[in-house]
Order: sequence, then structure tokens, then C-alpha cells
Amino acid sequence: MSELEEIVRAEGLKKTFTLSRKQQKIEKTGEKSRIAVNGLSFSAYRGEIYGLLGPNGAGKTTTLRMLSTLIRPDAGDATVNGFSVVKQPEKVRDSIGFMTSELKLEGFFTPDYLFDFFGAMHGVGKDALAQRKRELFSRFGIDRFAQVQVKNLSTGMLQKVSLVISIVHDPAVVIFDEPTNGLDVLTAKVVTDFLLELKEMGKSILLSTHIFSLVEKLCDRVGVIIDGKMAREGTLAEVANGDLEKSFFEIYHEIKGEFV
Amino acid sequence: MKLFALIKKEFHRFFHDRRLIITMLLPGIVIFLLYTVIGEAIHTEPPKYDYKVYVEGESSVTSMIQSAVEASGNTVEWIPLGDMEAARKEVEEGEATAILSFTEDFDLFGENSAVSVVYDPMDEAGSGFYSLSLAVLQQVGMKFSIHSEPLASDESIGREVMQQILPFIIVCFVFSACMSVTLESVAGEKERGTLATILVTSAKRSHIALGKIVPLACISMLGALSSFLGVVLSMPKLMGLSVGMLGGYRFGAYVLIFLLILSFVPLIVSLISTISTAARSVKEASAYTSVLMIFVMIFSLVTAFVPAIGNWVVAIPILNAVVSMQGLLAGALPVWQSLVSVGMNLVYTAGLMFLMTRMLSSEKVMFGK
Ligand SMILES: Nc1ncnc2c1ncn2[C@@H]1O[C@H](COP(=O)(O)OP(=O)(O)OP(=O)(O)O)[C@@H](O)[C@H]1O
Ligand SMILES: [Mg+2]
Repeated sequence: MSELEEIVRAEGLKKTFTLSRKQQKIEKTGEKSRIAVNGLSFSAYRGEIYGLLGPNGAGKTTTLRMLSTLIRPDAGDATVNGFSVVKQPEKVRDSIGFMTSELKLEGFFTPDYLFDFFGAMHGVGKDALAQRKRELFSRFGIDRFAQVQVKNLSTGMLQKVSLVISIVHDPAVVIFDEPTNGLDVLTAKVVTDFLLELKEMGKSILLSTHIFSLVEKLCDRVGVIIDGKMAREGTLAEVANGDLEKSFFEIYHEIKGEFV
Repeated sequence: MKLFALIKKEFHRFFHDRRLIITMLLPGIVIFLLYTVIGEAIHTEPPKYDYKVYVEGESSVTSMIQSAVEASGNTVEWIPLGDMEAARKEVEEGEATAILSFTEDFDLFGENSAVSVVYDPMDEAGSGFYSLSLAVLQQVGMKFSIHSEPLASDESIGREVMQQILPFIIVCFVFSACMSVTLESVAGEKERGTLATILVTSAKRSHIALGKIVPLACISMLGALSSFLGVVLSMPKLMGLSVGMLGGYRFGAYVLIFLLILSFVPLIVSLISTISTAARSVKEASAYTSVLMIFVMIFSLVTAFVPAIGNWVVAIPILNAVVSMQGLLAGALPVWQSLVSVGMNLVYTAGLMFLMTRMLSSEKVMFGK
């Protein structure tokens, strides 16, 4: 492999949440706070797909939110495309496309309108925006639906539109929390194809998941995250060691000292 | 540029949705129709009046006026004028209808003859009698001159209603107009996750707050204006008063009332926006907002019946506007009180905008569990 260029670098990221009384009741715990991410460090490289693999509550979403500057780390820092998430959050936001199932598009507007709107939100110039819209809309077959209100689109098309809009500003890095969660097989394929296409276009991708097959299908590099800590990191081949699922449970046992 | 796009989006959302436009303008139209219909129903039978008119001097005109009055189904009682001041007072207080004074040796054809009518235009009987007698005088009048002297009284019923209830009604309508668009746009967007999508971009939080408050205030203004017009235009009908009553206010008073509304619409919008940003759901936001609305309503109703409130009231948002409007409608022109109220409301609005920006930047508020 040619020389690797770090595009995302996390150093000792830490995040503690205070638990509300309601949350304590739901989770049947007496503790007042929870360390969601505990000194997490890792590096993702340009042009690669990096997967954060971990069970529920491992701290994946929290990590990705810190990287996309929606929440601030209590300690540590990370650079994305060379910008610090703590010191240059706005620069970071213009360098990333952040996707999660929680981010929605207003159903009233058309893909065409939203593309222009979010282009403006990222400060993309008019001409560049128009050209990019033509390109992306035809590449992902959105042309015909450009003037259809988002609420009337099929799930698959809506997913495509959301994906395309998240990269309206041609970000260097795409961050994706649980890309296929809750999607049917067809829509999930739309998403995985899209991610491979993005990689083809030279984008760097950081995703989180608890699905082994997704990691095997997409990722060049994997970080196994358990209880907010990096349990193992390396290329897919290194971490999987022949069988990703088996390897994961071995790591889990090592850390937690318990079998699932 | 980003701010502009945010504002444009909000307007686009509103003006391309016929349903939203209708819900915003409907209250005003409904109020107008409803009040007018009620007013018509109440006042189809012209009320019978027993005019009590003081007369000074002698003329055959009185008997002509009397026949005209009786032809219109009313009666008139003529009382020789004693004390002018006392009579004026009675007219002001609505005890007497008018004062009719003829010059000495009044002559229908005399150039030096004159008649003057003192009446209260805000009083139904007074304005009714005045227009009737004016018609008679103009018909028979050849040379003599007519002086009408409308009294500016602040005791008449119409004005009292306007003065005390109207600010309350205006506040209620403004509040509900602001509520309907703002809850949907801010709390709704937060709940649906579309606000978070904007937070992921590099748009400034202050711009996101402004991008909500500015257009929503403009839109609410439209709704408020519609309701306001609905009330104002139907009020005379409802009260059985002449529309001319509206003309009883000075132009300056209207300008100040407009400014006051202009200043508390953004205030209420930013108040509801801030609550909506803090709330976890539309339901929660509308619960808080309803409580707030009840408070505002109670306060603005209470102030209507508190005779004199100290100047400190200008420091209290919304209430300051209500009190100023009451003053304006009462015929006073509290310019400084009004302008200071407007200024205070703008200061509070700026403060709330700042608070909303802080909330949009707060991960606890936006992404807390
Ligand atoms: N805003 C918050 N307030 C309080 N606790 C939180 C908050 N966000 C996350 N947590 C807690 O932090 C821990 C890590 O959560 P996180 O969502 O990062 O995990 P995850 O790996 O994404 O899990 P999942 O697979 O369920 O999405 C969990 O125990 C969660 O309950
Ligand atoms: Mg998660």
C-alpha cells in the first residue's frame, strides 16, 4: 500500500454524561453519570472506509457526534481534515458530511430546493452548486424526482436524496452513524452502494455499526469499541483474523471477562 | 448569505402552503363575519331613543326637528337651557343628548343667525340626533350658519369598550397567531429532526435563531393584522356604533398602536421560539406556551381595570404595550410611554434571541436524552 494520509485523528476523546433521574429509572441504575467515551484514540486514512464496530451503548454515536462537532469532548481532541473539532468546529463542519437516521429532511420541500438550501448553508457558490447538482442528481438517478416533495418520495429515493444532500458541499470526509439501521434490504443496498461509490470518488468514510457483515463488505479498517474504549484496531484482515464475528467475541471476552 | 437562505426557506415554507396561509388569515375573517352577524342580529331593530336636548333661544326649527325625530320612531324632550357648563357635563356623561343653541332673534333667512349643536359623537343617541338635526337644518337653512361642536368625551361606552377590551383582544390574537406558526416551525422542526440537519452545517447558531424569528415574526404579523382588522371593522357593527367612532382617534395614536404591535409580535415569537427550542416535543412546547398565554391574558385583562399603573409598567414586556394601548385608546397620547415600551420590547427580543442562540449551541438542549 502507498503511504497513508491521516484524515481523521482522534486523541484521547472522552465524554461523560450526567444521567437524568428519568434515565436512571429507565436503565435501572443508581449512578449519576456515565462515561460514554473513555479516552478513545484512533486514526482513519484518506480514501479508506473506517468502521467503528461495537455493541449497543459502546459509545459509537457519542464518538461520531464529537467528531462532527455536535457535542464537545470533555477531554482530548480530534482533527478532521486537519481541523480541530474543539477549536475549529465550523471548519470541521464544512469538511464533513454527517449522516444519521436522526437527521431528517423537511417533507414539504423538493430535493431540488433542499439541495440548494443546504448548499447555501455550507457556503457553496451558485455556479459550483448548480454543476454539482446536475452531476449528483444524474449519477444517483434523482433527476426525475427533483421536483417531487420529499414526503412523497419512496423510502429508497428519500435515502438517496438524504445521502446526496449530505455531500452537497463536496466534503473530504463522510461520517455515517449506523448506515443501514432500520432499513429494508433494498434501501440498505442503496446506502452501501452509495458508500462504495463515494469511496470510488476518493472520499474518506467513517462509519459506525454493530453489523459484522457490513464491516466485512465495506471497511478497509476497523476499530472495535467496547465500553467507550478502543479494544482493537487495524485493517479488516488484521482484526478479523479470518472470522470477524469469532474474533469480536474473543475480544469482548478478553475485555469484559464474560461470555455473551 | 446563509442567514438570507434561512429566512427565505421559512417564507417559502409558508407562502407555498395554502393550508398555512388560510389558517393564518382565517381567524380574522371568521371574527369579522361572526361579529358582524351577531351585531346585525342584535341591532336589526333600530333602538328607540328618548332624546333629551337642551335648547337656548327660540326657533320654529325645533318643531321641524321634533317631527323628523318622531318620524324616525324616537321622541325628544326639549329643556330650556339653564347652566351651560352643567349641561355640557351632562352631554359628556351621556345624561343629555345634545345642546341646541340659537342666536338671539334667530331667523331662517338671517345672515347673522347661527345655530350650534353640542353633542358627543361617541354616544349613539348623540350622534343619531346630530345627524338628524343636521339634515333638517341643512334642508331649511338658507343663510344662517351651523356650528357643530362634537365633545371629546372619554366616558362614552364605545370608547370604554375599545379602550379596555381591545388591547386584550389584540394581545390574544397576536399570541395565537404567533403560537400557531412558531410552535410548528421551531418545536416541530426540532421534534422531526430537521433542525438537527441544519445544525450539522456550518451555519452560525445566531443566524439559525434569527432565520426563524425574523420570518416567523413577519408571518405572525400578517395573522395578527388579519385578526386585528377583523375586530376593528366588526366592532362598530357589534356595538351598534357608527364606524365614524374609529375616526375619533388621532392619526398619531394609530401609528403608536401599530408600533406597539410591531414591537411585541417579535417578542412573543422569540419567546415561543425559545420555549420551543428548550422543549423536547411540540406537545411539551405547546403546554408551556399555553400556560404563558393564560398569564399574558390575565395580566392584560387585569390592567384594564386597574385605574392607574405606575410608570414601572414600561419595564414589563407585553404588559407595557397593553397599558400603552389602553392609554392611546382612551384618547391620551402617551408618546414616551409607548416609545419606551417599544424599545423595551425590542431589548427583550434581542435578549431572547441571544438565549435561543445559546440553546441551539447547547448539546444538552439539542442532543440530550
Ligand atoms: N445525551 C446523553 N445523555 C445521557 N446519556 C447518554 C447520552 N448519549 C448517550 N448516552 C449514554 O452513553 C452511552 C453510549 O451511548 P452511544 O449512543 O454513544 O452508544 P452507541 O454505541 O451508539 O450505541 P447504540 O448501538 O445503541 O447506538 C450509553 O450508555 C448511553 O445511554
Ligand atoms: Mg448509536
